[in-house]
Amino acid sequence: MEYFLNQLVNGLCQGAIYALMAIGYSVIVGVVGMVTFAYGEIMMIGAFGAYYVFQFIGINLPVALLAAFASSFLLGIIVYKLCYERFFNAPRHISLLCTIGFSMLIKNLVQIVFGPETKPVLNIIDNRTFTIPLGSAISIDLKLLQIVVMVLVVVLAVTLTLFFNRTKSGIALRAVSQNKDAAYLMGINVKRTAMLGNCIGCGFGGVAGILLAIYYYSISTTTWGGFSMKAFSASVLGGLVDLRMSALGGLCIGIVENLGITISSATFRDVFAFGFLIIMLVLRPQGFASKKGSRV
Amino acid sequence: MKKFVSVLLVMVLALSLSVLPVSAESKGVIKLGGLAPLTGNYAEYGKGFQIGWQMAIDEINAAGGANGYMLEIDVKDTQGDTVVSSTMATAFAEDDEIMAILGDFTSGACKANASIVDRYGIVQLSPTASAPDYAAMSPFCFSIMGRQDGEAPYLATYVLKKYLGVEKVAVIRVDSDWGLACFENFKAQADVEGLEVTEEKYKSDETDFSSIITKVKLSEPDVLVVMDQGAAVSAIFNAADAADWDVKHVALGPGTSEQVVSQLMTPDNIIVTSPFFFDPENEELTKWKEEFTSKAGFEPTVHPACAYDTMYLIKTAIENIGDGEVTRDAIRAGLQELEMQGVTGRIKFEPAGDIQRDYMICGVENGEWVVLKGFDYVNE
Repeated sequence: MEYFLNQLVNGLCQGAIYALMAIGYSVIVGVVGMVTFAYGEIMMIGAFGAYYVFQFIGINLPVALLAAFASSFLLGIIVYKLCYERFFNAPRHISLLCTIGFSMLIKNLVQIVFGPETKPVLNIIDNRTFTIPLGSAISIDLKLLQIVVMVLVVVLAVTLTLFFNRTKSGIALRAVSQNKDAAYLMGINVKRTAMLGNCIGCGFGGVAGILLAIYYYSISTTTWGGFSMKAFSASVLGGLVDLRMSALGGLCIGIVENLGITISSATFRDVFAFGFLIIMLVLRPQGFASKKGSRV
Repeated sequence: MKKFVSVLLVMVLALSLSVLPVSAESKGVIKLGGLAPLTGNYAEYGKGFQIGWQMAIDEINAAGGANGYMLEIDVKDTQGDTVVSSTMATAFAEDDEIMAILGDFTSGACKANASIVDRYGIVQLSPTASAPDYAAMSPFCFSIMGRQDGEAPYLATYVLKKYLGVEKVAVIRVDSDWGLACFENFKAQADVEGLEVTEEKYKSDETDFSSIITKVKLSEPDVLVVMDQGAAVSAIFNAADAADWDVKHVALGPGTSEQVVSQLMTPDNIIVTSPFFFDPENEELTKWKEEFTSKAGFEPTVHPACAYDTMYLIKTAIENIGDGEVTRDAIRAGLQELEMQGVTGRIKFEPAGDIQRDYMICGVENGEWVVLKGFDYVNE
């Protein structure tokens, strides 16, 4: 029992990072209206932005998180200008292919500029474990790193929700997400707002990137495609544009993966993740989202 | 303006002719094909190959070439993918100017290319393929890393049973051709030694090891053995440290990798088997390591050192041809017969086309690799 609970904690923590990735992804899809396959590389740039903060100014987590957000936010402008802005009225596959090409370009450029070797991200958060008793015979081990990651993800998700509901820019983003034509008629600059939404989504991806690097103690240039697919899957599970449900999708994928490994082998991690996605979509094609479709 | 452009062009042409590497005494250029994963999961090894080969070529050409021939290598990116590797190998094999292929990195890719090089009659000399059945697949297949049926049993008998004296072993390994060959050879010997072994495997692109560690920890092993190369090794040991698990770390695969040490939370807890060690007392080796680091931007593992040696093997094979015509088959015959002292040690091919290595037990003290001593079975 204790073993399963510890695996559940592992799954929750990993799921929390997937949730943050999925939130960023859903913001992009919701506001821009197109899926992206450059999200993994966007996360990577955020992770590298924060990594160089650690290198040059030392271990300062808030500054590193800001650097991750800012680097991916800035990359979001380039992605928007190159892959989306010119193709709003073109067939959707054109911008989709652009994002695939862009992701390859960034991945290889990063390998050339920063080097192909995996870089260590050690000792950012103290390696402490808390044993929490859950009765006389059962306890769970909770690492400080896991607590920090989960708290950060919750804080960021709440901040984003407040931004969307309490600020003028946030409400404009929701308007663009719901109906671009109506938003335009209401005087909203749709292109600029869509770009802002894309950049915010990218920024959240960047923060998820550095959290992944901290959680796995390293940054590589090659593992981000898999994370991008997980973000996409979680977002699809949440109905693509519903932030809360996408976050739930991310959490579910993290938990299913880890519990799957518990009963079988880590080789089947993706089998469990994508098997779960397929079963869910067969049973509920709209994902966790309501049929009406709650948007960003 | 036109005159200025013409003069400029003539100057550029003259300059480029003056820096061409072919000297007056040169018999010509021998072209080689290089297969390396320059992008993808094994990119750091691929880049190491590329730099190792080029370092050797620069030295060989500067010293007058291989029996008067200048060497040149065209390195193609195989992305660590067997299909891409086979496509590139076929392209090299069909190009009559290419006299031998160096690479690829993984045993899987090299094995996939074996039938191609056999069909076209061109050497494939891999610096790192260690699957026991690879070299025997064709007379044109060679490798200098040593074989897993040598290193993995050594790990079971000498590192785990004799040196550490453990009984229960947890193995976490990459689920690949190489990982399977390592584990099967290890398990066979571990059974002979009476070791109790549990196994967990993962895909080569795995990044999250927390749940595997939680699972493996449950069996309460005396030692945690990782069979992989590169980043996954440190990621697994870091996940074990993060889980507050006080267990000895042993790795089969990374050798004395500086990158692994730099990525570990507790580097002094690791023990590895290695056929090669950058001995700081050895001036020549230290100079080689420094030159590689300055060119690559990262410190070398055994892999680029092996790549460097493969180029010198080709040089020696060409020299052994003497005044005869340098053909693909002559290079194969030259390789089979030669004996050479390389950066990584003495190299003499077995009849199958691979070599037997002697292994050391290495550990880390104060963040630096050292050869472990204090046992009396080192020469067995």
